[in-house]
Amino acid sequence: MEGNKRRSFRVLVAAWLLVCVPALAAQHPHLYTKWENYTRANGMPDDKVLCVTVDGQRVWAGTESGLVLIAEGKIQRVFTPQDGLAHRVVTGVAVDRRTGDVWIATFGGLSRYSGGVFQNFTNMTSGLVNDIVYAVAVQNEYVWAATTAGISRLNTRTGEWSIFSDRNAPMHEPWSYGIAVAEKKIYFAVWGGGVLEYDIAGGYWKPYTDPDEEMEIVLFRNQGLIHVIVSSVAFNPDTKMFWASTYFGLSGYDGRNWHNYLSTDSGLASDFINATQSRGDEVWACTDKGLSVLNYKTNAWVTYRPDAGTGRGEIIITGPGNKVSRLDSPDSLAHNYIVNMDFQGEDIWVATAKGLSHGTYETHKERKPHEHTENSR
Amino acid sequence: MSAARMPQRIRSGWSRLALSITGVLAVALGSPWLAAAPPQTRTARNLEPSYLTPVELKFSPDGARLYVVCEGSDALLAVDARARRVIGRVRVGHKPRDVAVSPDGKTLYVSNEWSDTVSEIDAASLKIRRTLQTGWGPIGLTTDRTGAILYVANSIGDDVSLIDLRRGVEIKRLAAWRSPHYVALSRDARRVYVSNLLPHLGPYDQPPVSELTVIDTAKQAVAARVLIPGVIELRHIAEAPGKPASYLLVPFLRPKNLNPLIQVAQGWFLTHGMAVVRLPAGAAFPETHPQVTQVLLDDLDSYYAGPNGAVFTPDGRYAFVTSSEANVVSVIDTTRLERFLRRKKDADLSNRLDSAAEFVVRRLRTGLNPAAVAVSPDGQSAFIANRLDDTLTVVNVRRLEVQSVLRLGGPKEISALRRGEQLFHDAHFCFQGQFACGTCHPDDHLDGVAWNLETPQLGRDRVANRTLRGIAETAPYKWNGHNPDIETQCGPRTAKFLFHSEGFDAGQLKDLVAFVKSIPLPPNRHLAADGQLTPAQERGKAVFFRKKCETCHPPATHYTAKYGTDVGSATKFDTAGLFDIPQLDRVYQTAPYLHNGEALTLEEIWTLYNLEDKHGVTSDMTKEQLNDLIEYLKTL
Repeated sequence: MEGNKRRSFRVLVAAWLLVCVPALAAQHPHLYTKWENYTRANGMPDDKVLCVTVDGQRVWAGTESGLVLIAEGKIQRVFTPQDGLAHRVVTGVAVDRRTGDVWIATFGGLSRYSGGVFQNFTNMTSGLVNDIVYAVAVQNEYVWAATTAGISRLNTRTGEWSIFSDRNAPMHEPWSYGIAVAEKKIYFAVWGGGVLEYDIAGGYWKPYTDPDEEMEIVLFRNQGLIHVIVSSVAFNPDTKMFWASTYFGLSGYDGRNWHNYLSTDSGLASDFINATQSRGDEVWACTDKGLSVLNYKTNAWVTYRPDAGTGRGEIIITGPGNKVSRLDSPDSLAHNYIVNMDFQGEDIWVATAKGLSHGTYETHKERKPHEHTENSR
Repeated sequence: MSAARMPQRIRSGWSRLALSITGVLAVALGSPWLAAAPPQTRTARNLEPSYLTPVELKFSPDGARLYVVCEGSDALLAVDARARRVIGRVRVGHKPRDVAVSPDGKTLYVSNEWSDTVSEIDAASLKIRRTLQTGWGPIGLTTDRTGAILYVANSIGDDVSLIDLRRGVEIKRLAAWRSPHYVALSRDARRVYVSNLLPHLGPYDQPPVSELTVIDTAKQAVAARVLIPGVIELRHIAEAPGKPASYLLVPFLRPKNLNPLIQVAQGWFLTHGMAVVRLPAGAAFPETHPQVTQVLLDDLDSYYAGPNGAVFTPDGRYAFVTSSEANVVSVIDTTRLERFLRRKKDADLSNRLDSAAEFVVRRLRTGLNPAAVAVSPDGQSAFIANRLDDTLTVVNVRRLEVQSVLRLGGPKEISALRRGEQLFHDAHFCFQGQFACGTCHPDDHLDGVAWNLETPQLGRDRVANRTLRGIAETAPYKWNGHNPDIETQCGPRTAKFLFHSEGFDAGQLKDLVAFVKSIPLPPNRHLAADGQLTPAQERGKAVFFRKKCETCHPPATHYTAKYGTDVGSATKFDTAGLFDIPQLDRVYQTAPYLHNGEALTLEEIWTLYNLEDKHGVTSDMTKEQLNDLIEYLKTL
């Protein structure tokens, strides 16, 4: 009898939550329940999407088989080396907001797409330090490229190439994965080398590394970067914090204090994080077990991932005190292995191992997600 | 010796003395940089009469005034268009190249190519208001419709500066391609067109491809890059008026550089024409590409070298295209042209010499080296700037005949250098008038392509064109070093192997050589004004000397040891393996590199074409060292 009551109560709660899912969407953190996926089935050249960059109304997605341009909800163009792209594997895209030119990091060098024409810069044809380019960023007239052999910087006005590596910068490893441009500084994610901060005016470097120097154990939780294997770095223009995704957790630095997160005691889906993004009070983590977002004002986490069994979406909300709610949604991300993401207004675009996902923000109803707790850890 | 030739003699003496002093100082101080300083001994030019050398002209909106840019005298002239006399003059920066008039006609903007500035001038008083900084080598310029933004093509920087005219500061720079020269605002003001003089860098054994860059004025971004295959030297841009599906005319040179030059004797080697670019109405670039048709302005047995200026009459009935090296302006009946293009819709017209007869209704003689052409707003007259005789040719548009010649002033005396420059730009010495020296050396520089000059065998011995700037002391000449002096280079050999004609007589040759020797080097944009090297340049300089680059590229002699050497650049298509060591002055402007133009960038010289370490032992260099070396080379 008691069991039936409990079951009935759960059914009622579940039904109520299902009805209210859209209502949860507008408050912080948002809930995304409407997903549209782009895969080989509907025109992507490859399911493995390595990066996504929003360019106003346009979206650029890098795949293992070319660069994709999406606009008005449709795949408009797929660019391959036959079109002039430096290489089929596209790992990063940056748009120069001033000129409109698109810079593309590939496994065969750096491409610039401008006015419908590609121009390529490689180790052989230019001063680029290495052709395996993981990320690219634009800072005024400079284009920065993170490569396996260090960081290259092109002055687009003079044509001068500069190289920053373990020879002239405090890098333990030259293998650079990500770049984030801040107002006066640039941050670099270095695989095995932590985060490097470059002061634009002064031209000097400051490294951030793991203080406990342990590969997999976090001895000093908030005393520094969580781990030196940093896969990406993001700068939050609202809070002026930078965030670093590592393969062993998420780290944020506000200039005085570190804010580190592990999956063991937070709503972070996994410590293996491929990329991070941040704006407002939110930080997003692209993990191998889903897409997590933390509102660090409310300390509420939400993780999105597809349910492998049903194909529907699973939303895991972790509130203060680690109270966990689980919701489901009819749509879901293309895959739970998340590689990269970007914002388009309130919408998000997510690169996954099995396609590109577009999460639409629905604005009409608001409720705080952690009000609807189902259980707690 | 005539008075006109006196400066040449003086120049030679001072030149030698100055060079010697520079060299001695360099050796004494052990300073390669000092020795490398380009000798400032162009006294022949310095002592020259100050010719006006009008290159560009624009009307005021009311048609009352014509503004004429005088490249040779660093001046802008105001001409009363009705009275046809010069009424004002203002001194601007160094080597002015173009003028833009603000939409209200109250302000003029003059680009100063060698000062990297634009002079802003009050049109009423002809007083300079302020000087605006641009990118490197500003030439073509235009304001937008409101006069708020100035677009400036930077020929050395390969980009376009957008200058906020309210604040007088550059707000952004957009990438053009190679040596952007001329700029035009579309009639609907939605686009700015930029023509690139030099083609894209590409495989040396493939036809060149040139680019017309299209800028969206609303987004202030490059909207499209219109590629025009098989041509080089895109010049002025004219837009047909008054039609929804409008089109552009852009003069070009169409070289057959992959064929042996001996074919000049059969004609049809260098042809001259214009691209007809139809822009899709309202279409979004770059998803929809414009339609480009190439038509030639030449006749079957007579060529019109140096197509340059282009303009439509206000009613769109005629278009005028100047041929700078034929001293002709061709008048095109646009109705006939459009009818012809419709009729030949599917035909490839780019190589046909029988097209011009269909739409060219007049060939009018101009003065020497006609450059820009402008039509008065009332459509009555066309004015042509004759660069090398300081005149304007005035054409009566109704009658299609030359009405008068307006002398702008300037020295009446014609110096040896001036005569030499006129010869340099005169295609009459070539068989059927196919080309002049200046055809392949635009702006006294290079055309960016490789030519099959040396042998009559197809595909063999291709050599990249070389600059003529600052070459006076870099003998021997040609890639094979066979010409010990410029007299040999420009004399009978040119007549026999290039022009296939009688060539220049002794007096003409002397003047031509004097001119070629006087061609100066432009300012070096990579070197700070005080000569101080950046840290990267300093490191590169150390690499240069540590690697013994100065053995073959000694600073005291313009970085050429003046002999031939084998740097491993010869291919199976080359007869010889020894090639002249090129001078390195302003080397950043002389791509492509190596004798055949195979290396498209300085990096490629060592990354792709020095696999046997014959071009210096460089295989042990790090990428950082190579980058530094290149930064240093750019300072030379």
